[in-house]
Amino acid sequence: MKTSKLSFGLFVAPCLIAFLLVVIIPTFSGILMSFTDWNGIDANPNFVGLTNYVKAFTDDMVTTKFLTVEFQMPRFINVFLFTAEFAIVSVILINAIGFGLALLVTRGLKGSNILRSVFFIPNLIGGLILGFLWQFIFTKVFNHIGDTYGIEFLKGWLSTTGTGFWGLVIVLSWQMSGYMMIIYIAAIQNIPSSLFEAADLDGANFILKLKNIIVPLVAQASTVGLFLTLSNAFKLFDQNLALTNGGPYLSTQMLALNIYRTAFVMQDFGQGQAKAVIFLIAVSAITLTQMSISKKKEVEF
Amino acid sequence: MKRLSTLLIFMLALAHGVFANSNTEATESNKAVEVNIFQFKVEIADELQKAARLYESKNPGVKIVIETVGGGDDYGAALRAKNASGNMPDIYNIGGPQDAKDWNSMLEDLSDQPWANNVVGTENVTMDGQLLGLPFAVEGYGLAYNKRIFKAAGIDASKIVDFKSLEAAAVALDLKIKNGDLADEFPLLEAVFEYAAKETWVTGLHTSNIALAQELGSGLTASEAKTIDFKYADGLKKIIDLQGKFSSSSENTGLLNAVDYSTQVDTGLGIERVAIIQQGNWIYGGVKAVDPAVADSLGFLPMPMVGAKEDSIAVGVPMYWSVNSETTDAEKSASKEFLNWLYTSEEGKDIVVNKFFFIPPMKSGYENYPVADPLGRSITEFISAGKTIPWVFMGYPSGWGMDVLGVKIQAYYAGELTWDEAVSQAKAEWANAR
Repeated sequence: MKTSKLSFGLFVAPCLIAFLLVVIIPTFSGILMSFTDWNGIDANPNFVGLTNYVKAFTDDMVTTKFLTVEFQMPRFINVFLFTAEFAIVSVILINAIGFGLALLVTRGLKGSNILRSVFFIPNLIGGLILGFLWQFIFTKVFNHIGDTYGIEFLKGWLSTTGTGFWGLVIVLSWQMSGYMMIIYIAAIQNIPSSLFEAADLDGANFILKLKNIIVPLVAQASTVGLFLTLSNAFKLFDQNLALTNGGPYLSTQMLALNIYRTAFVMQDFGQGQAKAVIFLIAVSAITLTQMSISKKKEVEF
Repeated sequence: MKRLSTLLIFMLALAHGVFANSNTEATESNKAVEVNIFQFKVEIADELQKAARLYESKNPGVKIVIETVGGGDDYGAALRAKNASGNMPDIYNIGGPQDAKDWNSMLEDLSDQPWANNVVGTENVTMDGQLLGLPFAVEGYGLAYNKRIFKAAGIDASKIVDFKSLEAAAVALDLKIKNGDLADEFPLLEAVFEYAAKETWVTGLHTSNIALAQELGSGLTASEAKTIDFKYADGLKKIIDLQGKFSSSSENTGLLNAVDYSTQVDTGLGIERVAIIQQGNWIYGGVKAVDPAVADSLGFLPMPMVGAKEDSIAVGVPMYWSVNSETTDAEKSASKEFLNWLYTSEEGKDIVVNKFFFIPPMKSGYENYPVADPLGRSITEFISAGKTIPWVFMGYPSGWGMDVLGVKIQAYYAGELTWDEAVSQAKAEWANAR
């Protein structure tokens, strides 16, 4: 009994130590830092209590328009809403496209294997490179096509909030859809072929099969898919930095970038850390809610 | 409980071992002195490497490792990250009074160096009688214009001495461009100005400096000012409106928010798509890479502030070299010797002027090294005529210039804010930050 406990401890220790050193300790020192006014250099920061948390919800008011009503709100809330809006749109798009692609490549068409790799490749490129690449496409290629064919719609991308928003959505969808496709492929291939054979005997067409067999049975995969896309969309940083860097006039700034700029540009590490703590709590709350809701929708077979 | 404490001690011992190891390694490698340089000027990165190799070949036992991270804000963030991770370099850059204050405990006093009494722009980095930095260079910015286009349009640049004459020249040039009078000679020419509103350092630091320098006087006063009046906000509006109205995005100035540095310099001034841009002498190398003939026909027009100096350009020191006071004595002295060599030896002077394309920050000693490029020469002419405005943006509250004012200017261009709203909000943020 004793030896088994010792060996248990020995086997767990390396992982536990690493986890403590790189996750737990930094998390707590981060929370501690959020109560100070540290500027990134000073060896002895002052303890300021909850000031940083209050400031996150009261400082730097910006005017926003909702439908036609204009009102003031703190930038942090504004950024939060923008990020949430972005997350909702991209989660729907990415999962829809990913599922669509998965259906396409599991139908046994010629060249399916090549298509799978093609759809997955964008996911292998780093977010920063993707951001700069698409920045070139949006600002230079789009503009050029717009100029040549006189299409106003293609001009001035990323110079307005709207085009910046959709630019970000397009980039993330392009990058992540292939990854979601892989998850959905695995789920579709796991469906027992007997179900399809029975459906064929009953004369069901593809739409019926999709509605009554495929969709309910990939619900398990969609739990994972929704979780990954939701948390990724909320935490998005590098694409945001490379593509728009929050511009124009900080209207496409998302949470992670806002926190980074608060800490490293405004040099208010305490305030940045406080925002990060709020961010952590909010993202965990949102993703956990999503998990528990989609878990209920799963069907066993 | 006992088991848990054993585990904790074990972990601490392990962690201690890891850190202790790295410490002993660091002290052992001190026999050959390694000088770590962390600098911000991307334009000179290659030439600085070459200079370091040359220095190493002449000074065996000294190894120089250079790392470059560009851009004002990114550099500051990267330096803080280096400090936080315990990898503080031996030589690093500080920007002015605010940095000098922030990093004070890690800055070596350089006032005993041979160049100390010979450099300009020291007021920003002198604290308690200690000189904390060696200026990189003298730089200036104004409205860089293409002399060939001006000549073809029949506009006399020497007559542009105030806002009125600048506006008249812009109107005249704009008319010629729209009528197609210059289309044969300059087929790509489409507008008078191109303004990089996306780069908030161009708008929020450089353009705003023309107004705030004349209100605040120096970087030091700016770094101490609790509030600002924005006395010349109207004059600033005039310059910003002018650069928007006569740009290629004149119908929708919001589009300027997508114009970046390379669009302004390389595919703007460089290919003769526009005639004037607001930039500094550091663009010379970039334009030269696009078209040497264009680069050699550049000069500066003043940036006129209505109600204050109208015939001047802004001249200052971009950054200062500093030596880390918390390293070993060997590293400190090697660092000082390298900086000394770079700026005062004959080889160094040649590199500074002819390879870096710097305007030397020294009062004397560079008589045999005339400034190599036309933009630099244009600046020295403004300096000798006394037509200069100081740089004060290094004394703005951290992030205020770029992330507050620059962003407000973008919102103004996009029609989201009126000018008065932009100015009053920026003023409030300044007071808030101090």
